[in-house]
Amino acid sequence: MLRVERLSYRYPGGDEEVLHELSIEVPSGGIYGLLGPNGAGKTTLISIIAGQLRAPSDKVTVDGMPLDELHRREPASLGLVPQEFAFYPMLTCAENLRFFAAVQGLGGARLRERVEAVASFARIEGVMRRRAGELSGGLRRRLNLAIGLLTEPRVLLLDEPTVGVDPQSRSFLLESIRGLAAAGRIIIYTSHYMEEVEAICDHVAIIDAGRVLRQGALAELLRDDAAVVTVRQGRSLEQLFMHLTNRSLRD
Amino acid sequence: MRILLALWAKEWLALSRDVHGLAVLFVLPAAFIVIMSLALSDVFRDGAQRQVVFAVLAAGGPNVSQALADDLAGGGFTPTAAPDSEAAAREQVRKGRPALVLLVPEKFGADPSAKLKLLADPTLPPMQIAAFLQRLQGATLGVKTSSPPLDLEVVGNPRGGRPSSVQQNVPAWLIFGMFFVVMPMSALFIVERRDGTLARLVSQRVPFPMLLAGKVGPFFVINLAQAVLMLAAGRTLVSWLGGETLVLPGRWDLLAVVTASTSLAAIGWGLLVAVASRTLEQATVIGAVGNVLAAALGGIMVPRFVMPPSMQAWAELSPMAWALDGFHAVILRQGSGADIAVPCLKLLALAAVLLAAAFWLHQRRRS
Repeated sequence: MLRVERLSYRYPGGDEEVLHELSIEVPSGGIYGLLGPNGAGKTTLISIIAGQLRAPSDKVTVDGMPLDELHRREPASLGLVPQEFAFYPMLTCAENLRFFAAVQGLGGARLRERVEAVASFARIEGVMRRRAGELSGGLRRRLNLAIGLLTEPRVLLLDEPTVGVDPQSRSFLLESIRGLAAAGRIIIYTSHYMEEVEAICDHVAIIDAGRVLRQGALAELLRDDAAVVTVRQGRSLEQLFMHLTNRSLRD
Repeated sequence: MRILLALWAKEWLALSRDVHGLAVLFVLPAAFIVIMSLALSDVFRDGAQRQVVFAVLAAGGPNVSQALADDLAGGGFTPTAAPDSEAAAREQVRKGRPALVLLVPEKFGADPSAKLKLLADPTLPPMQIAAFLQRLQGATLGVKTSSPPLDLEVVGNPRGGRPSSVQQNVPAWLIFGMFFVVMPMSALFIVERRDGTLARLVSQRVPFPMLLAGKVGPFFVINLAQAVLMLAAGRTLVSWLGGETLVLPGRWDLLAVVTASTSLAAIGWGLLVAVASRTLEQATVIGAVGNVLAAALGGIMVPRFVMPPSMQAWAELSPMAWALDGFHAVILRQGSGADIAVPCLKLLALAAVLLAAAFWLHQRRRS
């Protein structure tokens, strides 16, 4: 289980805290949906878990181990799939995969094996020699996902991994991500698409302005939240989300 | 080591596919070398209007030295304090400041065998040495009715070379080109940061100093390649187009040390601009404007010896001037390790400061 406990964070030079004593519990073996409007603090939280932003080390633990210690003991235990196309457009798919595998300590036969495995998983074997910058949006998303899986990470952070792709690619990506849920693996998935989260997530947290508004098993949230029932009989995550975060436009 | 090799390989691949970046690094300085060497060849041949600093060391004492210096001053020749001894004079001339020292023996004028000795910086054009000798003849007419007996000694260059246009412009524009690694280096770094690649590498626990080291290696090799190609251009291309041939130095090891020191300073500058700039536009403006200002101030675009003394003092602030001093010590003066020590130490200290600043800035933003 990944546990975030009373985590607060303020950007250097920033006036306001973007996370206020935020606490979540992410069970392993499923997919945990992290929802929130723009500016809610999702990406900040993901960045802290990924080690890109510094926060007090004891505020985030994985199976009881502080995050810093996990990074130190098992540096390849965390995979990040950011919302940007975080690879080199001037390199081919194969070169990108080999590079990101090598900087994570893979080499020799193990490197080749993992590159082949993730290319096969993301179905990009046919474009391995093409430069990443020449790929379609869907193929780029698949390459982005494949890079995050190179080390078979124990903690996988997926930050809006389906933005800007066509329905076919989205469907493929969602099926693939669903297939990643396995015993012992922790997956956090952020998205603005409620139907995606409903389709693949087991647990959900809705956050806004750096605070958790609701969290728990998705089915229980939809069943138990009285507010949704009063709004409409057909219960949906989107209705719950809109009810909790209200309808005002965000920056 | 595997991580560093992977970073170097990635940087090489990215660079090799950046045609425009490579053009800036190789075509630009080569074009400047050819154009400026040819365009300024007559100016350098004629010696230009150069203020020459000289000193007089008379065995008869400081009053004699001062009186003779006053007589010789003017017409482009500026006196400075006399050195303490002939050895000190020789050492100063070897460094180019002053460019001329006149040694006057004890019985000059009384003893017909007593000869003047003129120590000359090899970078002085012969026309200016001849002009100084004419002034000397005028100043000594009260003592001698004919030309005074004089030994001329060019200090520090046994081949008696002088700075030609090509000898000024090849190292100058090579340095300019080397500092232009700031452009591709910062561009790739900012794209890495903008696209989240850098964040991904950080999340993969690649230490930031390792990321910086991943940049240093490939660009260091690029700088060395620039040096080889620009010297080759000065040696062959300029003369093929009708200019003078670059005289290559005897001490290649010293040339390598100067090139390496210049490269590390240029890379440090590139990394700081890359980390400090938030956008490609910022990096382009800061990098390019910084380079052009340093070049203008440091005697790259306009040789320092044609600048007035006040500007020459300001020129000492430019790292490109330090690099040019180092290259001239090797190429023009056939100097020793001691001659390149000061400029190289300055460049290495600057490189260390710039790298530390880049690291500190990155840590500050991340904390």
